[in-house]
Amino acid sequence: MKLTERQSDALSELINIAFARTGAALSELTGHRVVLNPPEVAVYRTEELRGALAKFVPGDVASIHQVFAGPVAGDALLLLNYAGAVHLTDLLTEGRPPSAYLDESAREVLTEVGNILLNACLGMFGNLLNVHVTFSVPRLHLETLDELIDSTTSDKTEMHYALVIYTAFQIRDSSVKGFLVIVLSVDSLDRLIQEVDAWEAQQGK
Amino acid sequence: MTSRPKGLAEAPVPIRMNETSAKETLLNAAVLHWMHDLAAQGIVTTDSELNIVEWNHWMEEHTGKRTADVIGKNLLHLFPELTERRLDRHYKWALEGQVRVLSQALHGYLIAMDPVSGEHGYSQMQQAVRISPLTHEGRMIGTLTIIEDVTERAARESELQAQLEDRSRLLSSEKLARNEAERANRLKDEFLATISHEIRNPLNAILGWAHMMRLGNLTPANLERAIETIYRNAKSQSQLVSDLLDVSRIISGKLRLDVRTVDLIYIVNAAIDSIRPAADAKSIRLQTMLDPVAGPVSGDADRLQQIVWNLLTNAVKFTPKGGRIQVKVHCVDSHVEIVVSDSGVGINKEFLPYVFDRFRQADASTTRVHGGLGLGLSIVHQLVDLHGGTVTVQSEGEGKGATFTISLPFVGVLSNQQEVETVQQAQNEEVVSFAGLPSLHGLKVLVVDDEADTRELIREVLKECGSEVITSPSAAEALVALEEHKPDVLISDLGMPDEDGYSLITKIRALPSEHGGQIPAAALTAYAQAEDRMRVLRSGFQFHLPKPVDSAELVTVVASLAGRAYKS
Repeated sequence: MKLTERQSDALSELINIAFARTGAALSELTGHRVVLNPPEVAVYRTEELRGALAKFVPGDVASIHQVFAGPVAGDALLLLNYAGAVHLTDLLTEGRPPSAYLDESAREVLTEVGNILLNACLGMFGNLLNVHVTFSVPRLHLETLDELIDSTTSDKTEMHYALVIYTAFQIRDSSVKGFLVIVLSVDSLDRLIQEVDAWEAQQGK
Repeated sequence: MTSRPKGLAEAPVPIRMNETSAKETLLNAAVLHWMHDLAAQGIVTTDSELNIVEWNHWMEEHTGKRTADVIGKNLLHLFPELTERRLDRHYKWALEGQVRVLSQALHGYLIAMDPVSGEHGYSQMQQAVRISPLTHEGRMIGTLTIIEDVTERAARESELQAQLEDRSRLLSSEKLARNEAERANRLKDEFLATISHEIRNPLNAILGWAHMMRLGNLTPANLERAIETIYRNAKSQSQLVSDLLDVSRIISGKLRLDVRTVDLIYIVNAAIDSIRPAADAKSIRLQTMLDPVAGPVSGDADRLQQIVWNLLTNAVKFTPKGGRIQVKVHCVDSHVEIVVSDSGVGINKEFLPYVFDRFRQADASTTRVHGGLGLGLSIVHQLVDLHGGTVTVQSEGEGKGATFTISLPFVGVLSNQQEVETVQQAQNEEVVSFAGLPSLHGLKVLVVDDEADTRELIREVLKECGSEVITSPSAAEALVALEEHKPDVLISDLGMPDEDGYSLITKIRALPSEHGGQIPAAALTAYAQAEDRMRVLRSGFQFHLPKPVDSAELVTVVASLAGRAYKS
């Protein structure tokens, strides 16, 4: 399944609205202006996900993972490489001395940031589809990309797609790259794309 | 339905309260009971209006608010600071279905509570919080808040962080020290290469000409040239060794100043006179602007002259033929400034900060044009420091000359001109003449030195002035000669194997006067500084003669010791 250019543009625009909300929330929380770069969106089959992400996140990956359930269900993840995760935490928590590793507090901060971002995006999808989604408590994992991908696709009976949204956090003259990965069933993705098409058509009127 | 990732199986998915059997009802009641009484976290449940439904024992204990008093109350009314701190939004979002995470690092705490112990520097208990929606059959029925006390953890992490920071600071300072040590080592290597070169050069000339002299077939003109060359080179080596000794004393902190009130103008003039021949040889113009009232400073006259002499020698060395050197002495506020500027090769901007470093020359290559050890300016810097002054350098760059400025504290008006120490112009005496020296006729001098060359040199000089000379290579033989020849004056080296000059003089002074116990004595030593002089005088010598021996000084000292007057 591939997104058309129009679908990709429309989806990017929608996600950008969620990003703006996330940026505003993080700015208020940290007292520094936080901006998320406009998203770049692509769709992969989960089998292709490994290849698609490997070059961007070599080594250990920090992921904030939330399961969402409802008429549209799936896994939502914010992915950062380890160094990026450490840097993002340092940037967000001014006053704490910069660290070389993620301690418990830093992991919690990342969990909160991931939670804000995932809530904003999934909330936006929920509104678009006019469905109510419920979320699990977010969890932070530190693992290799392979382990991470295996953990999101344990249900092999159904084909899944991954909506990969590339962005970067801009804070205090620094930039930290990240990926938002939303793993959906074929049905859920179909439904989402239909709604995106409808939204896009409505915008064009 | 979604896949359930590893590690998330136990994650509390929105709770559905659809009890079916009495057993389940019992179990649920037991769970609630456990959560209320035993949970190690704060648990607060509200309805969809945010009215408190459950307030567990942990919350009672830490907020001081009893369950009975809060049940049914609105959470946001009970804790208005939640709204003030804009945390009420998290409840609004939870009621929209979102799970919210409040991290300690970004929020500190949700509900203000006293910390359990006060040893971590937090005035409030630090909390990690999760706020989840509670739904029943798709309907939002309330919120669940779980509060964890993370004060200890946060404190431990800060401590660890501080330790890590300390360690990384230590590591980087160790790295700096290592780099510095490596740099110093490199400089020493360069210096060793330089010193070998600098010592070998004059040696080659000395050995070469001495060899030709031994062959005995030099023309009178060449012989004179040989002697002149040997003398000049030996003198340059002697200067080299003096510099090295100075540096070693400075490094080991053993350099002491013989401080008196001295006339700076006199010193500067003496230094100028001593380098004038070298400047003349290169047709360098020497201009002086010496303010006569700028004179008196407190310092060591020898060392001050060394400072000025080093700067001037440097200026002559780096100024091309036909150039100009200007020496200015004047008062600036409470300081006297000596300014030596030249129209020489100048100093590269990159090298400027290192000018006063030991063993540094801008051009460390083996093919460099200018000789020297690169110690002169370092010695200047250290000596000026010891005088409580400063030395600075300015240069517009290569080919644009250099200006050295020394600033010394001003002493004020001299109370007694007699106190001003004058300086012997030893370095300026290029040619030794025996004319005008006191006669040593009829005097018997005992010379003790383990080095045959030195003994012979002294013997020749003293004989030239008419004295009889007895020589001894050791202290033991000197004691025999003293008894045997009854000399009038003793000249003894200090550093000798087996028994040194100090021991010799101590033994002599212990003798009765008829056995030579009162013989006037002078010590010879290569260690020519104030502290050496003190020791020499204390041990029983009357005079101290620095090596290499200056013939005129030797004769004068012997005459003085024997009570001979100068020849008019």
